[in-house]
Amino acid sequence: MERSFKKEVEALKLGDGDTFRGEGILAVTKALLQSGVSYVGGYQGAPVSHLLDVLVDAEDILSELGVHVETCSNEASAAAMLGASINYPLRGAVTWKSIVGTNVAADALSYLASPGMVGGAMIILGEDYGEGASVAQERSYAYALKSSMWLLDPRPDLPTIVRMVEKGFELSEASHAPVMLELRIRACHVTGEFAAKTNRRGEKSGLDKLAGPPRFDYGRLAHPPVIFNQERLKVEERLPAARAFIREHKLNETIDGDLSEVGIIVMGGLTNSVLRALERMGLADVFGALRVPVLVLNVVYPLVPEEITGFCAGKRAVLVVEEGFPDYVEQAVNVELRRVDMPTKVYGKGPLPKAGEYASDVLLEGLAAFLQAARPNGIDADTIAEKTRGLIAHKAKAATALRTLPPRPPSFCTGCPERPVFSAIKLMQREIGPTHISADIGCHSFATFAPFSLGNSILGYGMSLASAAAVGPNMERRPIAVMGDGGFWHNGLITGVASNLFNKGDGVLVVMQNGYTSATGQQYMPSSKSGRDGTAAGMNIEQTLRSMGVKWLRTVRTYGVAKMVATLKEAMRTAERGLKVIIADGECQLARQRRLRAEEAVKLERGERVARARYGVDEEICTGDHSCIRLSGCPSLTVKPSSDPLRTDPVTTVVETCVGCGLCGEVAHAAVLCPSFYRAEIVRNATAWDRALFRLRRTVIGWLGGYNSKAAA
Amino acid sequence: MSAPRPITLLIAALGGEGGGVLSQWIVSAAAQAGFPVQSTSIPGVAQRTGATTYYIEILPVKMTELGGRRPVLALTPGVGDIDIAVASELLEAGRTVAGGFVTPDRTHVIASTSRFYAMDEKIAMADGRFDQERLTATIKAHAKDALLIDMGDLAKQSGSIVNAVMLGAIAASGRLPLTAEQCEAAIRADGKSVESNLRGFRAGYEAARVPVSPAKLPERKNNAPATLEALEQDVAHTIPAVARPIVLEGVRRLVPYQNIAYARLYLDRLAPIAEADEAAGVQGQLVTEVARQLALRMSYEDVVRVAQAKIAPERMRRIAREELCAKDEPYSVHDFLKPGIEELTQLLPPSLARPIQRYAERKGWLGRVYFGMEIDSTSISGYLRFLFLAKLRGIRPYGHRYVQEQEQIEAWLSLIVEAARRAPDLAREIAECARLIKGYGDTYARGLANYRSIEERVIRPALAGHIPLERAADAVMSARTAALVDPEGESLAKCLAGIEEQAPLRVAAE
Repeated sequence: MERSFKKEVEALKLGDGDTFRGEGILAVTKALLQSGVSYVGGYQGAPVSHLLDVLVDAEDILSELGVHVETCSNEASAAAMLGASINYPLRGAVTWKSIVGTNVAADALSYLASPGMVGGAMIILGEDYGEGASVAQERSYAYALKSSMWLLDPRPDLPTIVRMVEKGFELSEASHAPVMLELRIRACHVTGEFAAKTNRRGEKSGLDKLAGPPRFDYGRLAHPPVIFNQERLKVEERLPAARAFIREHKLNETIDGDLSEVGIIVMGGLTNSVLRALERMGLADVFGALRVPVLVLNVVYPLVPEEITGFCAGKRAVLVVEEGFPDYVEQAVNVELRRVDMPTKVYGKGPLPKAGEYASDVLLEGLAAFLQAARPNGIDADTIAEKTRGLIAHKAKAATALRTLPPRPPSFCTGCPERPVFSAIKLMQREIGPTHISADIGCHSFATFAPFSLGNSILGYGMSLASAAAVGPNMERRPIAVMGDGGFWHNGLITGVASNLFNKGDGVLVVMQNGYTSATGQQYMPSSKSGRDGTAAGMNIEQTLRSMGVKWLRTVRTYGVAKMVATLKEAMRTAERGLKVIIADGECQLARQRRLRAEEAVKLERGERVARARYGVDEEICTGDHSCIRLSGCPSLTVKPSSDPLRTDPVTTVVETCVGCGLCGEVAHAAVLCPSFYRAEIVRNATAWDRALFRLRRTVIGWLGGYNSKAAA
Repeated sequence: MSAPRPITLLIAALGGEGGGVLSQWIVSAAAQAGFPVQSTSIPGVAQRTGATTYYIEILPVKMTELGGRRPVLALTPGVGDIDIAVASELLEAGRTVAGGFVTPDRTHVIASTSRFYAMDEKIAMADGRFDQERLTATIKAHAKDALLIDMGDLAKQSGSIVNAVMLGAIAASGRLPLTAEQCEAAIRADGKSVESNLRGFRAGYEAARVPVSPAKLPERKNNAPATLEALEQDVAHTIPAVARPIVLEGVRRLVPYQNIAYARLYLDRLAPIAEADEAAGVQGQLVTEVARQLALRMSYEDVVRVAQAKIAPERMRRIAREELCAKDEPYSVHDFLKPGIEELTQLLPPSLARPIQRYAERKGWLGRVYFGMEIDSTSISGYLRFLFLAKLRGIRPYGHRYVQEQEQIEAWLSLIVEAARRAPDLAREIAECARLIKGYGDTYARGLANYRSIEERVIRPALAGHIPLERAADAVMSARTAALVDPEGESLAKCLAGIEEQAPLRVAAE
């Protein structure tokens, strides 16, 4: 894995009287152990990768507590794992990135929610929304609504997050429903502290196993005819039970204020942002003392009607602060008020925008507009609104002061084995023309950015081949689907390959075999050369494809650009019908460098011979066209001012972060660009032979007037 | 409601620069000092060299003095509410300004002047770099005060990573309630690469306390060593003073490129330009630009020039010293050449080269058949190969490429002279079109083809009166700019079509 979590693992061992300090997502991990879970699973993805990563490093604690950890092959298998809590008093939690992970898990979630839970079941959702997000912008809320799962959106401070995890299990058990807990990106990474408790063993677990299954109970299956009764149970029993629990345990908070004619109903996760905005408007202090009353919904589904009407009683207007669309809570608040004929006016989308993250300036503007519309007694709404707008007025001008700044999206790391594949695709297209490229999720999706700008669609993780199924038959040239090995095992194998073979499809599939799910932090996956416990799972992509019946299959080392171009051309041109798979093989360079650096340090220490290579550009020969950068895009390949007084264009240069992968030389060679690239090699702890040869060469070349000559020295 | 406010700190960095570790150091130093502190970040896929930010709030009142109250700290940076904006790179500092996070009432900017060019800047076909002066000026104009130092350089010099230098500069700013000792203690407590991080910290701390002039002067251009007094005296006589430094550079470049006679040819070719320049009263502007481009065109990139550069003694020393940091260790340098038929026949006389090229063209070898080779230039045989190629300098003037280049140069110069008589600004634009012709292989062919399109479809029609002269210079400039937008030539095609559409005189004449 990219990071070692040794320090964090220590924090998981804290007990009563200790103070936990760390990130939000690790606090959740600790809270799970404090809640007595018997099993944990999930699929990695920002911003919740660390939850599983740290548990993988925490083998000893887990075995002490009898907790089973499963690094699932996708979110569907993680969701299905919660099935253990349908029949048994086992508390369990799974995690993934939402909305995407919840989409993948949806089938299992419906069938989990229908029969309901005996043991507490919790899903930790990394709500990948707003700045820093990488997925389609949708709300997970819809899943809570349609499946009758409860959705917690805790106020983003560690004590509240931890309390909600603990209470969430109780809620799940009290109402027999699964509970989801969503954390936005910043909440996962927020640092803070809370008073730790000693970890608890689960009621039943690996240490105290269940004797066997319960007596046969058809009611625990989600199967006709009991599904009809289960639907009724959700509404008539579980929902009221959940509402009663939420009220009784005060999971939501009300903060009073003297401007009692108005109020704000805020989703827990946005609480700090709203309180800070009020503080900047002069309506709160930094310790959370408010002038405008606020209802903080740590549970956003279900709402408790009495809490809503109780808060709104005596108020002329309330503002619902709810990010994203549709405005489920705003609608629900309106309905609850209408039911009891309360006249409180509800504002929400209107003063606040329908789409997009509620960043600081958006909230300030929205709150100012709300105050001006509601006009509570006791303040001059116009003056406050004017002052508030003054705080952010400069932004529009500042945004244009620099005109358009060049964007800086993420890109392939220095030496990444995936980059050469896209160089090759670019070169191949030069010769035989552009074709449809279906991209996928993973590091390779960075090829959609400059300098490659390759990709016509992205439909989800492992979906690239499937998404080209109807393109191929309708296009002159074969489409190319790009998929990572992570996506291959996540579902591309079934959704893409099996479907293509079953339908006797055509087309080209490029599988990036780098050995890890790299984009999420280099977790192991089924075809990794190693695994969590140090041994590989032993699954092999090539063998798998052959056994499924793929006939045309080539494995090409990614750095061989010329070979890759030739292979791609062959795949595009061959008369042979059927799926053509190219396995682009090259280990993730981040992982490789970490390993190599350690190995080389040991060798150098021991006095063993170590040769190191890096690439360079001769400034005198480079003419500043930058074709090489357009074909490579390596971070260590950049420009610098030319020191030639006659040239004004910057020249290409290789900076010291170069890891010597050789792509720039390969590309310059394969594309016939220019002779300015060179590879320089240095030998540390050289042998006597190395030294003798070097001395001989220097001397002779020196006589010839070369680099060791006196005249030049 | 009046109460203490948190100090807000926004850190802009690139994925992989250790911004997360920097946040941890600050958080741990503040917590150790007893202040309420909170940090957040948005790593996600913003790692891997993408732009990202980290946000920290510290309440400058000790926890023990708060009587059990806990502050509510924000997770998102507030527009107009940032006390300290730190950036590891100048463009990212600019991005914090553009986001509205830098305001004159409160924001203290601590940013590195070093640049890590964004992809769009690097892939431009000529110079796509963002205007550094504009960046610096805008940052200074928006900030309360700005400390701009080259943190990249400080990190390199101190053998550390930029995040340690940033911490040093933050500590020295005195804007946080933390002492240098407390920050250093945080680095030690973290326990990773402690020595190098402390070195970086001190480098940043010192540099911030004694702010030296911020922007480094643009890299000094190496002037070529002086040659041939006689030629240089000629320059002093025939060339206006403003153009002399460039012309001297040209002379000094062309003597080793070919010989003294060739350098004299250069001066001879400049003489009519100098006259035209004087006649047009443009005060040496035209001759300066032509002198620059002409020197580059006359020292066109061929196999001899490449070989000369590859075995230059200074080159090997530079690589060994700067890139490999070799002390006494053996090293080797490997060069990649891939000449095609055209490159291989460049030095043959036209009477031989042309039939070979025609034959290759018929066979479809041009642009397809290449002879790739990797040469160990530090080996004796590799050195000898390049030495042999470099020695072919003597036969260069008899070669096919030489003849071709000189014809093209003459044609280009005559267009400039002709234009100078009627519209000096057009002459300058034509001169600058030579910038398109550069590089090797495909790049060279593409540049030359683009130049020819502009010549045929804009320059010549303008000189023939089909495009109004007052519009011609603009048209040439926009065509040249368009030619440098995309290598596929789409922008140029569109631009040329637009120019032709706008040229009613041409339609009338045909």
